[in-house]
Amino acid sequence: MSEVLAKDTILSYIGSEIESKASSVSIRAINERGREAVEKTAFPTKKDEDWRFINLKSITKNSFVSVNDAGVKDAGDISGHYLPEALNTRLVFVNGVYNETLSSVDGLPKGVIVGNLSEYADHETVKEYLGTITNYEDDVFAPFNDAVFSDGTFIYVPEETTVEAPIHILNVFTDAEKPFFATPRLLFVGEMYSKATIIEEHIGLSNNAYLNVPVTEFKLFSGAHVHHARIQRDSKTASHVSRPIAMLDGHAEYHSYTICLGAKLFRNDPRVIQNAEEVDFTVDGLVLIDGEQIADTHSIMDHRFAHGRSHQLHKCVINDEAHSIFNGKIFVAKDAQKIDSFQENRNLLLSDDGKVNTKPQLEIFADDVLCSHGATIGQLSDEEVFYLHSRGLTEQKSRELLVYAFALESVESMEVESVEKLLLDEVIKYTTRD
Amino acid sequence: MLEIKNLHAKVEGEDIEILKGVNLKVNAGEIHAIMGPNGSGKSTLSKVVSGHPEYEVTDGEILFEGEDITEMDADERAHLGLFLAFQYPVEVPGITNKTLLREAYNTIARANDREELDPLEFEDYLVSKLDVIEMKDEFLNRSINTGFSGGEKKKNEIFQMAVLDPKLSFLDETDSGLDIDALKIVSDGVNKIANDEKAIVLITHYQRLLNYIKPDFVHVMMNGKIIKSGDIALAEELEANGYDQLQKELMLNGEAQ
Repeated sequence: MSEVLAKDTILSYIGSEIESKASSVSIRAINERGREAVEKTAFPTKKDEDWRFINLKSITKNSFVSVNDAGVKDAGDISGHYLPEALNTRLVFVNGVYNETLSSVDGLPKGVIVGNLSEYADHETVKEYLGTITNYEDDVFAPFNDAVFSDGTFIYVPEETTVEAPIHILNVFTDAEKPFFATPRLLFVGEMYSKATIIEEHIGLSNNAYLNVPVTEFKLFSGAHVHHARIQRDSKTASHVSRPIAMLDGHAEYHSYTICLGAKLFRNDPRVIQNAEEVDFTVDGLVLIDGEQIADTHSIMDHRFAHGRSHQLHKCVINDEAHSIFNGKIFVAKDAQKIDSFQENRNLLLSDDGKVNTKPQLEIFADDVLCSHGATIGQLSDEEVFYLHSRGLTEQKSRELLVYAFALESVESMEVESVEKLLLDEVIKYTTRD
Repeated sequence: MLEIKNLHAKVEGEDIEILKGVNLKVNAGEIHAIMGPNGSGKSTLSKVVSGHPEYEVTDGEILFEGEDITEMDADERAHLGLFLAFQYPVEVPGITNKTLLREAYNTIARANDREELDPLEFEDYLVSKLDVIEMKDEFLNRSINTGFSGGEKKKNEIFQMAVLDPKLSFLDETDSGLDIDALKIVSDGVNKIANDEKAIVLITHYQRLLNYIKPDFVHVMMNGKIIKSGDIALAEELEANGYDQLQKELMLNGEAQ
């Protein structure tokens, strides 16, 4: 392997020393491993197949410093972002730093842990799973998170335990004097037949540029059920590169819904691994972008064992000069028979200058499976618009209603009423903007 | 109520004229039937009257209650009281019948300085109209025409007509593709809606519909023009002899080009 020069790594866009701030030995070890990987991994360019279409300028034209060096402003009152269903099951991170005052986890069933990772660093489960589910391959961003995180979310749900209230992980990002980087981290471990709903939110409170690199790791034991909503409302000048990964044991169900509304640059590489027979999972997405936003999803649905069901509906609405990219892979290993997997990417282009690249992919080595995939790129149909228009709605209103309807399906999967309401408001804001 | 004078129209951006001088007068309380073979321009006429942007009027005018609506947007025409029941009702997944109709009803009410209905009032109003087409409550919460059978789609058009209460309705081949039971329900619905203050224009290929909805006037359209008008006897004659025979007769008489 040829030597990678420092100027070709992510470090050339980072203006602070990368140093471990973790107090625990186990997290320091992960930091160290991440740092080594970062130093020898080249930052992606358009020559890399997985980065062909994406313009990374909003990262590479910046120099991001650590939160401590950035002159970050106060978050102010953020209680407007609290979910009424999760008033006592909420963790708050401000610019990636845990905020105990704003968090409240008094509403948890016995044995359930929702807390700061650095506080639970010596917990057996954390030591066993933290940093073990992510896979570097030639990735730069997961190791970057590994190299610098110290705070983060740890969620543990014991056997046969249901957490009724949604667990709200609220990441807010404040205004700052300099662009900064943040590395939110989440480890979820659900024991056998446990059940939980996680709402992971990223909200930019101001319009500043920052680099948000979250890593989430989900480990679901047999029969565990998880509903994971990820809502990205970062600042419209921020960059967000996330690495959510889930490892599923037999009869586990993991349903994830990623909503992309914010960020100038959004890159999301969700990966779900079927690690035993009989699992069920969803990797849905909804992208609403305009202006010069870029949203790129590279997903992997990795069936390594037989009898699995998976489903992916990735919907994008693109306005102005925005650019949506989708590359979804379904892997089915040689002995993973009887897999039932479905993948669809639907794009609605609202402008002449918007751009879409889409590539659904199947890589199947088993011979008895039911897998299908498809992609569509379309505009609003004139006949649909006229139908509503002829009923007395203005042409504008007719278009708004059709875009709203396109997005609705994904929003209705949220299961948490206030989140649904919040997203409907976002959809309306998107469709009715001037 | 409606007066169409020497109407010429073509598809926007194309050269071929589809309507070549249509004249038609419809008064309140009247039911008209426009019959004609495929490609005669009868569906185009209904779309041009309702303001479809795909068509361009190249000559003539359309007057509604004395007002020139030739250049008006489709929604403004709907506000005045015009309605088009589509030949092929469009499926709109994600928007329920109720959502569309409430938005449409209140938009029309606002445009006419009438009181809007709140969701509860509107629900009652909607339910009261379900009888017109013998449908159940669930119908209201289904996505517009999505997964509907051909008959359900046509019933939905008549239901929308009942709810929006237009002054003048064009029914574009509402009978096509209907089995006899659905045809009866749809026809009954139209008959329930029809009254002395409203006018209805039925566009149809076959005489079958006219057994259930009795028109006061029957017009035959061919090659972009209304070439003959009469009463129900004209429809019966067409059913017996076909359009070719009529065309031949008119040619002999020098009435058609």
